[in-house]
Amino acid sequence: METSKAVIQTNNIDIVKTEVKKSKVKLSIILTHIIIIAVGIIMLYPLLWMVSSSFKDNLDIFKGTSFFPKEIIFDNYIKGWNGISGYTFATFFKNSLFICTMAIIGNVISCSMAAYAFSRLDFAFKKVLFAIMLITLMLPFHVTVIPQYIMFNKLEWINTFLPLTLPKFLATEGFFIFLMVQFMRTIPLELEEAAKMDGCGPIRIYWKLILPLSLPALITTMIFTFIWTWNDFFSQLLYLSDIKLHTVAVGLRMFVDSMGESSWGSLFAMSTVSLIPLFAVFIFFQKYLIEGITAGGVKG
Amino acid sequence: MKKLRALIFSLISVFLLVGVVGCSSGDSSKEASGDGKDEKVEIRFTWWGDTKRHELYNAIVDRFEEKYPNIKVKREFGGWPEYWEKLTTQIAGGNAPDVVSMHQFYVADYARRNALLELSDYVKENTINQGEFPESVVNSGKVDDKLYMIAQGVTMPGLVYNKKLFDELGVEYPKQGWTYDDFTAKVKELKSKGIWGVQDFSGGQLQPNFRYFARSNGQDLFTKEGKLGFKKETLVKWWTMWDELRKAEAIPDAATGTEYESAPLEQNLFVTGKTAIHQIPANQLYLYQQQFPDGELAMVTMPTVDGGEQGEYIEGAYLSITQKSKHPKEAALFINFFVNEEKALELFKVEQGSPGSTKMADFVKPLLEPAQTKAVEFIQSAVKNASPAPYSPAGVTELEAAFKDSASAISFGKMSVEEAADKFMKQAESILK
Amino acid sequence: MQTFKKAWRRNAVAYMFLSPWLIGLLGLSLIPMVTSLYLSFTNYDMFTSPVWTGMENYTQMFEDSKYLASIKVTTIYVMLSVPLQLMFALGVALLLNRGLRGLKFYRAVYYVPSLFGGSVAVALLWRQLFGGEGLINRGLALFGIEGTNWISSPDTALYTLVILAVWQFGAPMVIFLAGLKQVPLELYEAARIDGAGKFKQFFKITLPMISPIVLFNLIMQIIHAFQAFTPAYIVSGGEGGPLDSTLFYTLYLYQKAFTHFDMGYAAAMAWILLIAIAIITAIIFGTSKKWVFYQE
Repeated sequence: METSKAVIQTNNIDIVKTEVKKSKVKLSIILTHIIIIAVGIIMLYPLLWMVSSSFKDNLDIFKGTSFFPKEIIFDNYIKGWNGISGYTFATFFKNSLFICTMAIIGNVISCSMAAYAFSRLDFAFKKVLFAIMLITLMLPFHVTVIPQYIMFNKLEWINTFLPLTLPKFLATEGFFIFLMVQFMRTIPLELEEAAKMDGCGPIRIYWKLILPLSLPALITTMIFTFIWTWNDFFSQLLYLSDIKLHTVAVGLRMFVDSMGESSWGSLFAMSTVSLIPLFAVFIFFQKYLIEGITAGGVKG
Repeated sequence: MKKLRALIFSLISVFLLVGVVGCSSGDSSKEASGDGKDEKVEIRFTWWGDTKRHELYNAIVDRFEEKYPNIKVKREFGGWPEYWEKLTTQIAGGNAPDVVSMHQFYVADYARRNALLELSDYVKENTINQGEFPESVVNSGKVDDKLYMIAQGVTMPGLVYNKKLFDELGVEYPKQGWTYDDFTAKVKELKSKGIWGVQDFSGGQLQPNFRYFARSNGQDLFTKEGKLGFKKETLVKWWTMWDELRKAEAIPDAATGTEYESAPLEQNLFVTGKTAIHQIPANQLYLYQQQFPDGELAMVTMPTVDGGEQGEYIEGAYLSITQKSKHPKEAALFINFFVNEEKALELFKVEQGSPGSTKMADFVKPLLEPAQTKAVEFIQSAVKNASPAPYSPAGVTELEAAFKDSASAISFGKMSVEEAADKFMKQAESILK
Repeated sequence: MQTFKKAWRRNAVAYMFLSPWLIGLLGLSLIPMVTSLYLSFTNYDMFTSPVWTGMENYTQMFEDSKYLASIKVTTIYVMLSVPLQLMFALGVALLLNRGLRGLKFYRAVYYVPSLFGGSVAVALLWRQLFGGEGLINRGLALFGIEGTNWISSPDTALYTLVILAVWQFGAPMVIFLAGLKQVPLELYEAARIDGAGKFKQFFKITLPMISPIVLFNLIMQIIHAFQAFTPAYIVSGGEGGPLDSTLFYTLYLYQKAFTHFDMGYAAAMAWILLIAIAIITAIIFGTSKKWVFYQE
């Protein structure tokens, strides 16, 4: 309650201030916008270029001198969407979405549990285990890929979604554990003490207090899990051989062959389409990033 | 004490879990791979390429399955760089596909490490029919005199140029059977007309460019025994030739050359009109022609040393069977279908080069686009001159990296030709020990 | 007895929360790690069985001039890209935190480059920007300056990759944003009443409050930068050229493993890298007691 009041008050103060130094503030705000937009265009340039290219024919993409297409064609989208041998991008999207959803659920549950233990509980070998957790992040993927493949092959997980989803339920992504640990450690200790006074055990504290209060960290985890899983091309290619199981990232690479011909138009068209869910997820979740603290504050 | 117990408890549960999962799946696998004769057999086939090739090969595989309803072919495909990383991982992981697309550059590494199956038995019993294959094509699939690969398509490198551009510049076309002196003269002439003659091919891959030069000098990259097959003087001559062209600014400077080295076809120096001559494998002529809607491309043979030998040897795309394949017989049947049956070839055409079998090459000819026909004719006439080329020894990739490094050291002006050649020879000695 | 029981329960609860991770660690992560450690003492070409060679891979490394070049490249890259990227990310996060119209939109825009990840489009784009005839040089030409081929000159290639890293600053930015959300607004209000300016507020409130997040971003970005692979792989076509100027550590490791079939050597390289990162991380954790503030 207090926090939300504070928000309102700050807003009031802002309004008062704005009125006082209206002209000066206005100028600086306009200037800020200009800078943000100017830098933003640099940030957006690749996207704009890609979208524009996706409406060009293959020759125009590299030979054309203009940024804009000579004539807008939708061929690339139609051809691209049709995918390969009767499997359209609809299949690939479905697979990618499934893997991403499972990865998000897995990461949020398992990493938050581990993070809670590391940040809020006291137990034997805590420091050692935490160090091991960090160390698992430090080995380059290329040297573990073969042993991992052998392992998944023995488990008969090849050509299923299991190698890409099940490990997430076992918190194999230390990045997110560490992230949540850092966030959970910023939650005021008094809140937990108060909950303990009320007779809450660790499980209830985790569920009722820590999880809601680390919402920004959970949202961040969701956003990153989604985007990274969506783009994680090599392990998807490695573990999913059957075209029925192919994902968007794998489907996209099929358009390019560094040894010969590439369908750049289709690549750009489908890349554009594949950015839509990423963008949507980002925009949808960032709403919660903004509301994070107030929601948490009310519950606390 | 009690702390430990908690830890041990979780440890045990882990092993139980892993054990249960492992065992249960292990059983199911045994059931799946029964030995019944009428039972369906499943083989896996993998290749690299782009969407168009995937479409094509999927269709060919479908036709194979139609003909052999008891054999099911699982398809795996991807782009070129990932293809090799995935294949290596699969072989190391004991889960390799049965039929794999193979390339000359890698075959020695795979064959010498026992990853590939020797195929001569299947040829002898005629499961794979190589009767219509020219001997040189058959031999190009051998490593250490053992047959490991069957040619899907063979190709020949050559130099491509745009006739229209030469006409505009008033430069005569290069002649078939030209020499390296003709070549450098042509490059300099083009420079005088305001265009770079050719991209810097002094470094990069060992073959085809340097290999042709070495072979034309009566040497080769390697000896049969897997030692270095050329002398330092040859290398010095090669790099000096390029260095002079570079100093005359008849070829792009090092930085420009490097920038375009890893560019996709659509963006390379030749397609963007910065160079007038380009080295390509003939089967790509069709792709290049598509980039020049107005203007006809033509191909000319690789140069030879004045009075020297012909450099030609066979290159191409191949199919192999992996050592641990559970169904090598069916895999061989599949390869045979792919390289000998009209049903397959009418789709394949010249996708990865002119078909290995002469009969099939003639069969596909009427189906081709003009640029493809031209490529096939070029390949067939060049194949006649081809002589065997020893296969690369293990360590060739490292050698190639050293070659590349020394060549760029020269082009960026960090070393003299002599120094770079010395350095390379030294490295080669320790790599190929 | 009572305390003993309590301690046991405390541990049991903690390990219950840890159990998914522990299972994952022992069942999935540890086996490949230990295997790679073993392989680092062998000669392993991936197709035939590994042969024990003791320390050979490790001693060989320090006579390998390419290996030493890769260390140099990676060190420069880490030292430049990590601070630049973090400062940029924090600056933008502060700017886009609150108090501006259209924030949501701006944030999404600034995150766009990171959505691309290691896609092939990035390689094309980088050539478009930093190539001999790229946008940058065309811009410079307006001022009468003749640029070079930035991506393919040994002196500048690495720096274009540093810029690429900074350009893809979205991940740390989002984490900073999330961290900034955790800072209670009352603190700023109190500071304002005390008459603290924006700068003072930043150094006295914001920075200490988000210091755990700064620590996180710092460590993760260091780990990430040491393992950088994709940028060099796609921009230089997997070569690490020109003249090894973009031969990142992991890129060379990859070449050793998958191009030269020397997985033993690659594994040894990986473990040296792990030790180096671990030491740096430990040092940062050691100093963190002085500058990171937790709620404890």
